[in-house]
Amino acid sequence: MFIIEELKGVSLIKIDRHRCIYCGACVGVCPKLALILKETFVEYDEKKCINCGMCAKACPMKAIDFKK
Amino acid sequence: MKADYDVIVVGAGPGGSFAAKKAAKAGASVLLIDRRKELGAPVRCGEGLGSHWLDELGLKVSPKAISAEISGSVLYSPNMKREVKIQNPETRGYVIDRKVFDKDLAIDAGRAGAEVIAKTEVYEVIKKDGKVCGVKANCAGDKFEANCKVLIAADGGESTIARMAGIDSTATLYDTDFGIEYEMVNVDCQDLIEIYFSKSAAPRGYVWVFPKGKDVANVGVGIGGLEQGNAVEYLDRFIKNNKRFEGAQTVAIKGGLIPVGEPLKELVADGLMIVGTAAHQVDPIHGGGMALAMEAGGIAGEVAAKCAAEEKTDKKSLYEYESIWRKKVGPKLMRRLRLRKVLEKLDDNDFNAIFENLTDKDLDELIKGDYKPVVQKVLFKRPQLLKVLSALL
Repeated sequence: MFIIEELKGVSLIKIDRHRCIYCGACVGVCPKLALILKETFVEYDEKKCINCGMCAKACPMKAIDFKK
Repeated sequence: MKADYDVIVVGAGPGGSFAAKKAAKAGASVLLIDRRKELGAPVRCGEGLGSHWLDELGLKVSPKAISAEISGSVLYSPNMKREVKIQNPETRGYVIDRKVFDKDLAIDAGRAGAEVIAKTEVYEVIKKDGKVCGVKANCAGDKFEANCKVLIAADGGESTIARMAGIDSTATLYDTDFGIEYEMVNVDCQDLIEIYFSKSAAPRGYVWVFPKGKDVANVGVGIGGLEQGNAVEYLDRFIKNNKRFEGAQTVAIKGGLIPVGEPLKELVADGLMIVGTAAHQVDPIHGGGMALAMEAGGIAGEVAAKCAAEEKTDKKSLYEYESIWRKKVGPKLMRRLRLRKVLEKLDDNDFNAIFENLTDKDLDELIKGDYKPVVQKVLFKRPQLLKVLSALL
């Protein structure tokens, strides 16, 4: 928990818009609603993000990079 | 556009459009909102629909929305040595064109009297004293607010609306499969849905080939959220390792999440109903959600219209939707969930052994929900599965 707090606001998530097929899988698993599906891209709010990496795990296209 | 509606539906997929149509037909003033500029696109689905649903839902499917007619399914063992077919009147169905199908349903809703607005994104759910009572939305750049007596969240796997309203509908990696699918040409097809079971090719999921014509098919894979890697890697491997796809060309890429666990614990709140994939109303065995969404949407739409007319839209009143739905669908869904939990525990060797003795008739019984004869047969050949399979007896 301490580590997560420390990292708040420091984004470890990178969405590759060229790979993304805007299917919304990452949005559905994001526990903080930090990802919102627009029509043809995913909007990412790094202030809400807790760097849990769930979105990167979920993405069926492997379009999200999550580096610890 | 008005400032007040009886019912606002967010999401014009099969569930949302069906709900909007039913609510409008029951006399409610209805607004149907969708984020996309074109309803139906992009597709995120295998597009299979059993034909028995047409009668059950009172649904007419236009010939344009049908890509291929299907006579049944064929299941392959992990070692590919065995195939089991199921073909009977109940397994007939269609692989549809969701772009046409979804738009047709939204058109139906519009004809029934619902106002339909595309390219409109809801960015806030309005609540008053804890009760959902409207939305703030952005319609192609213009912001507006609309009030409603009942909000129906039918926004699919993202399930953003329910969560904006304070219901935790977040999909967990454990209870969700993630799928990717290529629509491919130059793939020889029969009129059968093909399912490939294999822990290595699709852990906690399966590989599918859904024919969309004689030489066109949706080829896809879904994997459990906690498995290694991402779905696209599994699909690319399956296609590369299979000579059948050597000359195949991809004409569309589709994907999405598939909730395969239990539906949400609560489908209603004060002023709110949740419908379809947003409510995790998905078949836990094959991952299909269209028909279940329409079934739930139909019930929700009618109950919403009734409650709005009676000015009673608190959680207790709206619970009628949940209660009817659970009574109708709950037992079957729970039985299938039990089967899924068992299937998840089997490895490829188990599957190969089971397939060796499985007949077409056995499969028919399994699908109908009669597990006992098949389980007994399997246990006779593979008694070590007793502990796992006993959950089905």
